[in-house]
Amino acid sequence: MAGWNALAVDPRDNVAVLLRDVAAGDEVRIRIGAADERLVAAEAVPLGHKIARRQIENGAQIVKYGEVIASATTGISAGQHVHVHNVASNRAKVRQTNP
Amino acid sequence: MVARGSVTFRGFVRADGSVGTRNHVLVVSILGLTNRIAERITQCVPGALLVTTPYGRGHYGVDKVIHRDQLVGLCLNPNVGGVLVIGADRKMVDDIATAAARGGRPVRSVALDDVHEDALEATARGVRAAGELVHASSRVRRTEQPASALFLGVECGHSDATSGIVANPVAGNCVDRIVDAGGTAVVGETVEWLGAEHIVSRRAVNAAVADAIVAAVLRREAEVSAGGHDLTGNNPGAENIRGGLSSIEEKSLGAIAKTGTKPIQGVLRVAEQPKRNGLFLMDGPSFSPESLSGFAASGAQIMLFTTGAGNSFCNSIAPTVKLSGRPDTVARLKDQIDFDASPVFEGREDIEAAGGRLFDLVLEIASGAATWGEVHGEGAEALYRANGSM
Repeated sequence: MAGWNALAVDPRDNVAVLLRDVAAGDEVRIRIGAADERLVAAEAVPLGHKIARRQIENGAQIVKYGEVIASATTGISAGQHVHVHNVASNRAKVRQTNP
Repeated sequence: MVARGSVTFRGFVRADGSVGTRNHVLVVSILGLTNRIAERITQCVPGALLVTTPYGRGHYGVDKVIHRDQLVGLCLNPNVGGVLVIGADRKMVDDIATAAARGGRPVRSVALDDVHEDALEATARGVRAAGELVHASSRVRRTEQPASALFLGVECGHSDATSGIVANPVAGNCVDRIVDAGGTAVVGETVEWLGAEHIVSRRAVNAAVADAIVAAVLRREAEVSAGGHDLTGNNPGAENIRGGLSSIEEKSLGAIAKTGTKPIQGVLRVAEQPKRNGLFLMDGPSFSPESLSGFAASGAQIMLFTTGAGNSFCNSIAPTVKLSGRPDTVARLKDQIDFDASPVFEGREDIEAAGGRLFDLVLEIASGAATWGEVHGEGAEALYRANGSM
């Protein structure tokens, strides 16, 4: 592979964003600043979507741009697709409980 | 990291100490009644730049202030080397012209009052005055100036899934470099902070600024809500979710990635000049033409404009640097997009390196190199107002 196919904007991020579609079993090479990290996609993840860099426990924070963007609603393994099926907005929750 | 003062560009020093990246003579119609007069004058004097607004009377409440602040702010922009004010009544013309003259640059004016409502006589007087201003302003020369004099306005338009991960972070890296060089930057579009205001506000320099950020978002949300729209109900929308965005926090963080990482010094009103250097937010409209004019009226003399699919709009007073991280956009619009961030998307360049390239381009354009938008004659000012005329 010429370069990397995923990007983590901040080193604190526990997810990376795919720059190309990947299929289950594909190697994902993540650029984090000047460093590279490799993992294997556990399932198909489309371009622009997020993949877990490491194991994320149920209820744990999802971090992108170095900030919390949501919480996990189930356990997520490294290499799994991270999206609305397994995470939920914290802000939206606040809104629902305090309309 | 670049030490303060060591990075320079070539700009036009003004009497008030500001530094222009351009040397425009503005022909400003301060209300809709005189726009055609100002247009005719500008057509007769190549080198003069037209600024108009459809409005100007019947304003009430905040619009009275905002209208005047924007007009005066545009006249005081560092890129302006002379101003011709055109209007109907002498009193209103004098008010704007007097405020504009505080910038220390030549200001002339023509009012319909002066010529007994003779629009053609007003045009003739205006042509002579604009010609003299262009002739005089052409005598000013660029000199070597510190990058700390730069004030960058940062905008996005026609964003897509690539914007939040490539173009906006690259723009943010360039903003960090401007701030490290001692310069100033502003990001607006208050509704784009919605959902991440609790995160953005943590970057505020103090509690008052943090409160101002949250308050600005809540006020816009309430205003929009009063108008019958819900900003959070279906946000991110179905298209955002298909593109990979999982929450409103993530969507907003993608938009505000163009602010970079530096502390936020304050929240500016539309057309408010920052009182010190550093990174600022502007509580302003989300439509790019109005947002950019708000930046220009607050003194921004160069703009960064990120796009996914492409967006041709440029500010007229401040050169507008277009960048995209989407390979097909950059290839398709190669004579319209100024900066190619697609190597980041293609996994060949990191954000830091691209941000460095962009910073170099900003200095080059600030020193006089043309943007594609300038080459093609893009550019306009669009003044914002909150309500209609009474």
